[in-house]
Amino acid sequence: MSEDEEMTKVNIASSADIIAARGKGRELAMKMGFNVVDQTKITTAISELTRNIVTYAGKGEVTIEKAQSETGDKNGIVVVCVDEGPGIKDIGLVLKGGVSTSGSLGLGLSGAKQLMDEFEIKSKPGEGTIITIKKWLRRR
Amino acid sequence: MDIPILKIEDFLVVTIQSELSDDEISKLQEDILLRIKDVGATGLIIDITALDIVDSFMGRTLSNVAATAELLGAKTVVVGIRPAVAVTLVELGIRVKWNVNTALNLERGRKLLKQLIGAEQRGGVS
Amino acid sequence: MSQNLERELSALFEDHADQLKGQWITEMRESGLLEQMSDVETEARYTALYNTVVSTFRTGEFEDVEKYAKIITEEAVMHDMSVERIIGGILKLRDIYERFIFSKYRDDEEKLYQLLDSYEPIANNILTIVTMAFVEERERVIHEQQRAMMSLSTPVLQIREEILVLPLIGTVDSERAEQILEELLDRIVEVEASVVIIDLTGVPIIDSLVANHMIKTVHAAKMLGADTIITGISPANAQTLAGLGIDISMLITKNNLRAGLWHADKMLGFKVRIEDR
Ligand SMILES: Nc1ncnc2c1ncn2[C@@H]1O[C@H](COP(=O)(O)OP(=O)(O)O)[C@@H](O)[C@H]1O
Ligand SMILES: [Mg+2]
Repeated sequence: MSEDEEMTKVNIASSADIIAARGKGRELAMKMGFNVVDQTKITTAISELTRNIVTYAGKGEVTIEKAQSETGDKNGIVVVCVDEGPGIKDIGLVLKGGVSTSGSLGLGLSGAKQLMDEFEIKSKPGEGTIITIKKWLRRR
Repeated sequence: MDIPILKIEDFLVVTIQSELSDDEISKLQEDILLRIKDVGATGLIIDITALDIVDSFMGRTLSNVAATAELLGAKTVVVGIRPAVAVTLVELGIRVKWNVNTALNLERGRKLLKQLIGAEQRGGVS
Repeated sequence: MSQNLERELSALFEDHADQLKGQWITEMRESGLLEQMSDVETEARYTALYNTVVSTFRTGEFEDVEKYAKIITEEAVMHDMSVERIIGGILKLRDIYERFIFSKYRDDEEKLYQLLDSYEPIANNILTIVTMAFVEERERVIHEQQRAMMSLSTPVLQIREEILVLPLIGTVDSERAEQILEELLDRIVEVEASVVIIDLTGVPIIDSLVANHMIKTVHAAKMLGADTIITGISPANAQTLAGLGIDISMLITKNNLRAGLWHADKMLGFKVRIEDR
């Protein structure tokens, strides 16, 4: 357990962990006052990224916590997904959407980017992938 | 968890009551298709009112079921998509590859199924 | 002295009330300023107005005119009556009185000018009161409408079973638009709507972010089983939508809200007929 009660870490290795991570994301988003639509978007993005960990890296972890913008004028939620899997070769290509190496829809990464306000990906073939996504609370 | 598959008239109705793990989803998919063959259903309604999230995996599953059911002679309508889930699915970009019929609720789903089946029968005659 | 002149004027107008009032109504009718009313109604209305004016001359008090002006302008604004009709009526009566005074005292020049001198300020005052009442009433109504529009927490209107109308107003920013459109989706579920009309008549230039939210909403609404009709797209807005890579031919569009409603009814009717088979 972290000292900061607003920070959650979930180890990801199976589809049950995906559901657990989603639940944690929903819980924090709701507590922070995100509306139902934004709660759903955040939860769905977490689902996409953690599923990728299970499918492509086998295991990894996700941390979910409160965030503040650099200028300090926006509050929100930040989700970091880390794995030491095979990494992604052509990031630009997969972000366009519709590309999949597992025969699925190929909408996870591009979709998560759409659903959130900020999306950052670091990946090296053979080393792993770190994806950071953020969503800010609406002003009203 | 066992998900009941009800038969109403010529239709099968599946109500998903909680979030499903991948294994449960795969099993449900199989069960549905077997039942369609068993009873010779012409229509399938999948009620997802209870789901507060549908990600691209679940979205793909639904459209796979619909496509397979079609091959077995049954039309599929997904009902009970929540507004927040609908917005999210659109933003995911699922629309392009998703040709799943949808309706507001069970009752509207039944109406739509009848329309779809009726339209096909008329199309077959002419 | 002046008091006497005014009383004299009022007596004059009162004694010849039938003649002058008749002339007034006739002239109003001839110049097409008369409201669509029955003869009895016309008579009653013009008599009331006429008597108010006469009593103003008698008492020198304008309170009654002010009260009456408020009533008739409220009515006029409510019925979208033109300025000419309201002000024109008072102008006509002023001319009739003036001509009457002329014809009556043509041979007594001194008396004539005395009477006219006391007549004109009162007549002008009445005219000013009515004009101001009209302008103020119209401003009040416009403000009220604006306030009502802005304070509407959810401008989604259910105009009949299964049909929702969302009139988007030009000044909505993208965040507000997003919120309104999300509310629209909730309302679809709430009232079980089958057709949604988004009316863009009030949006001369659509913001591309707003347009994006709108298109997403059209697709989301479809997932909830509702078809969307978009009405009142200006050529400029059509270009914005096309610029976003949106295939407008994919959307159901109609020129205006009326055509949209008509189409909505047709869609609902069509569905009913298929079910009946
Ligand atoms: N964590 C990851 N590690 C390695 N490769 C990944 C990872 N996440 C995504 N990918 C690659 O990016 C592709 C696109 O991912 P995504 O957009 O989620 O679509 P999908 O999972 O449906 O294929 C995947 O097919 C996979 O090749
Ligand atoms: Mg994926």
